[in-house]
Amino acid sequence: MKILVTDDSRVMRQIVIRTLRQAGYDDHEIIQAQDGLEALQMVGSEKPDLVLSDWNMPEMTGLECLEALRAAGSQVPFGFVTSEGSPEMREKAANAGALFLIAKPFTEETFREALDGVLA
Amino acid sequence: MSDLLSSPAQQPITEMLDAATVQSIADDVWTSLVGDGEVLVPLPVPAPEVTVSAWVQITGRWCGAVVVTCDEATAVALTECLLRARPPAVIEQEDVDDALGELANVLGGNVKSLLPELSSLGLPQTGPIPPASRPEDLCRVDAQWRGQSLTITVQGATPAPHTERNEVPQ
Repeated sequence: MKILVTDDSRVMRQIVIRTLRQAGYDDHEIIQAQDGLEALQMVGSEKPDLVLSDWNMPEMTGLECLEALRAAGSQVPFGFVTSEGSPEMREKAANAGALFLIAKPFTEETFREALDGVLA
Repeated sequence: MSDLLSSPAQQPITEMLDAATVQSIADDVWTSLVGDGEVLVPLPVPAPEVTVSAWVQITGRWCGAVVVTCDEATAVALTECLLRARPPAVIEQEDVDDALGELANVLGGNVKSLLPELSSLGLPQTGPIPPASRPEDLCRVDAQWRGQSLTITVQGATPAPHTERNEVPQ
């Protein structure tokens, strides 16, 4: 499977990718985008099986990206990995069509809990 | 911080969270991001003369910033930890700004989640430590990591100017 990791922080993208490996998802292809706009374009061109996205990014936020994808008819599985995990954010994410929201800081166990049902 | 102005008398941050809570958030961040066994010890050591800071702004009923401050060498060491970089890996300044900004971002996101009112979080910024406003609107953790000073502050923004004083006389 192909996973698109989206975050404006290169360091955080590396941390997310490392955690994916540590959580056991080391046989998946990982591709990267640095903001929501690039992710939106890459969903069209790269056809990932899952998008993991930060929320707060320049150019286009993760939420705007998800809304644009759903408005365009894409049903690609989408989850947030973000520093804000309040109930309000989780509700917004779910209403927009996100499968889950992983709050930073996270552990490999957090990733497994969120991703096992998606990547199994 | 010049684009972030609080109301003249916002509720002080110290009425919404305390240093122990900020330390608890930092403990989780350090374990998860910096590394297993890496501890932010809540014992102050003398602050370095030259520091770098990263922060995120929080805008809502309470306006302010969550700021991480340390010396440059500590910022580089933190970056190496976040990237799990091993010598002779070369750490670029861009990565140092990015890593320190992400620490501020994750701390800020967790602090924001504890505020009673809905608010928004800005993108990470780095530079000289931004000025704090009123001393009572500041929650501060003076700590050390690997024996070096590291400070986390949750600080209210500069109070908004009184617009009536700034009007051009007729």
